[in-house]
Amino acid sequence: MAQIPSDFHVYWQQTHDALAVYPACPEVEVLPMRSTEFATLYRVRLTSVGPYRLSAYLSIPVGSGPFPAIYYTPKYQSVLEIIPQGTANLQRSRYITLALASRGQRTSDTPYAAMFPGLLTDGITQAATYPFRGIVADSVRGLSYLLTRPELDATRVLVVGNDLALITAALQPGATHVVSTPALFYDTIALAAQTTAYPLEEINDYLRAFPAHTEAVRQTLSYYDLRAFAPRVTAHALLMAGAPGSLLSATTLAPLEAALHGQVTMHDSEQSNYKDGLYSEQWMAAQCGITDVQAILPEHWRS
Amino acid sequence: MPKPVAEDYQSRPQKPDDFDAFWEGVQHQAAAIPLEPAFVPDPLRSSAEIEVFQVFYTSLDQVRVAAWYCRPTRRSARTPAILYTPGYQMDPPIPKEWAAKGYCALSVAPRGKLRSMQQFNPGYPNLLTYNITDRHTYAYRGFYMDAWRGIDVLLACPEVDPERLGVTGTSQGGGLTITTAAMRSEVRAAAAGAPYLCGYMDAIALTHTYPYEEINDYIRAHPASRQAVESTLAYFDGINFADRITCPIIVNIGLQDNVCPPETGYALFRNIRSADKRLYAYDGHGHDAGRVRHAPIVDRFFAQHLLSGR
Repeated sequence: MAQIPSDFHVYWQQTHDALAVYPACPEVEVLPMRSTEFATLYRVRLTSVGPYRLSAYLSIPVGSGPFPAIYYTPKYQSVLEIIPQGTANLQRSRYITLALASRGQRTSDTPYAAMFPGLLTDGITQAATYPFRGIVADSVRGLSYLLTRPELDATRVLVVGNDLALITAALQPGATHVVSTPALFYDTIALAAQTTAYPLEEINDYLRAFPAHTEAVRQTLSYYDLRAFAPRVTAHALLMAGAPGSLLSATTLAPLEAALHGQVTMHDSEQSNYKDGLYSEQWMAAQCGITDVQAILPEHWRS
Repeated sequence: MPKPVAEDYQSRPQKPDDFDAFWEGVQHQAAAIPLEPAFVPDPLRSSAEIEVFQVFYTSLDQVRVAAWYCRPTRRSARTPAILYTPGYQMDPPIPKEWAAKGYCALSVAPRGKLRSMQQFNPGYPNLLTYNITDRHTYAYRGFYMDAWRGIDVLLACPEVDPERLGVTGTSQGGGLTITTAAMRSEVRAAAAGAPYLCGYMDAIALTHTYPYEEINDYIRAHPASRQAVESTLAYFDGINFADRITCPIIVNIGLQDNVCPPETGYALFRNIRSADKRLYAYDGHGHDAGRVRHAPIVDRFFAQHLLSGR
């Protein structure tokens, strides 16, 4: 692993301080088309560092709360989903869900429209201005907004996503559980060298074109490596590892598992998004005391 | 264990009597529009082994469509080619992996996708129901044509062997593979994974997950439009295109697919006319449709039909 920069905590404290300058100023608008008899969907707009105006989908179950919540951190794609593709819509009957589009993603793409592939290496030689610094701040803003919702049961707050889930849980208190599928910021340069698949192939493309920038890239990425954030994650974490022998297998992620401060469960991918998806849905429900998980699974997953 | 899937599931939508006439009309309109392809080298994404280009071409309604094109630097004068079609929410990938296997490869970004959204951008969710009550302006009229015109882009490449064209994709890419194989006789082999856009009206009853859930949202908000929605979708249902497919084709589905119900995959497969067709149904798999196990089968299939014997 690259050395954790001596100013790692300063870098993120400055990011936090810059975010604190701007209040979230939420605008909340009902979206009747996506609201059902069991949940109401809202478009939420929030301000993040910059200032930059973001967009998110907030779903609140019908009925009297408080409800557990799932915060879906920004994905590495242009599209913002209400809930992840393939998730039973009935998930929204039991959980508050919040899905945020960070800067660059659709609905948050003015003035910055990110490219996919492209975002991972955009401005990567300058740690101070690397777009992911703002994206992390955006994700933190999303969680901090969720925590203000009166319908929320603050003892059951799940943060779910890729690397950003762990980073957000590290930087913003309030997550009780985190489900993370590392993809971008774990030993990035070393793992990129072992694959030709995007998104890590973006790193290979960049370093092939600009070999003289290797050290600057390494320096920037050192502020984002999950192992540096791990000691700050106190939430119970579910790490979704790749299959044994794959790039991000449990073996590869073992140092991350060891560095996490809170309880950790590691799941080896079974190379089936049915089996892996069922595992994480059941895990989340169990953590939240939801006993009839069958009722909120996709039809073809139910027993 | 999940309940078994009904392999004999009967899809409800009927093929409209004027289905062929409708699509002949759309093709006629498209044929009048010059393709005007532009290939822009992308040195950042290129390597010693693979050349990468950003591609742009014109499609129906004069919409400028983007794509990625990859070709092996070491290739024969006439190289087989793959058209790669994208999933619903995915950003179209750079198809280097196909170039690494010896193909020229075009990955299309139909209208509304990233890099093709300047003139048409209904967004996600919304694409699936955009103008859904009018087949003449429904989003997928142009979207399908954008994918089909990818074949014309490949044919415009002098290094591409016009006799060795294949098409593949999964999910929405699987649905686009079906319609492309149906409508473009130049396609010599097709591999469709977890095909979406097949059995729309069946799917919205069989599952309640996005993206199909967009249609349920729409009908709930506009109940009086249900018949119009059904009428439009019958013209776009991959199952109704399937009897035009005559090339060799393989289809893979997951029996626990939470996005594209496997019942619709069975119904689609029955309707495919080709005598050279095979279905791979993967138990214990969802929308991945057994991707890891199936990938070598796809490789061998295209190698047999496109790479070998030349």
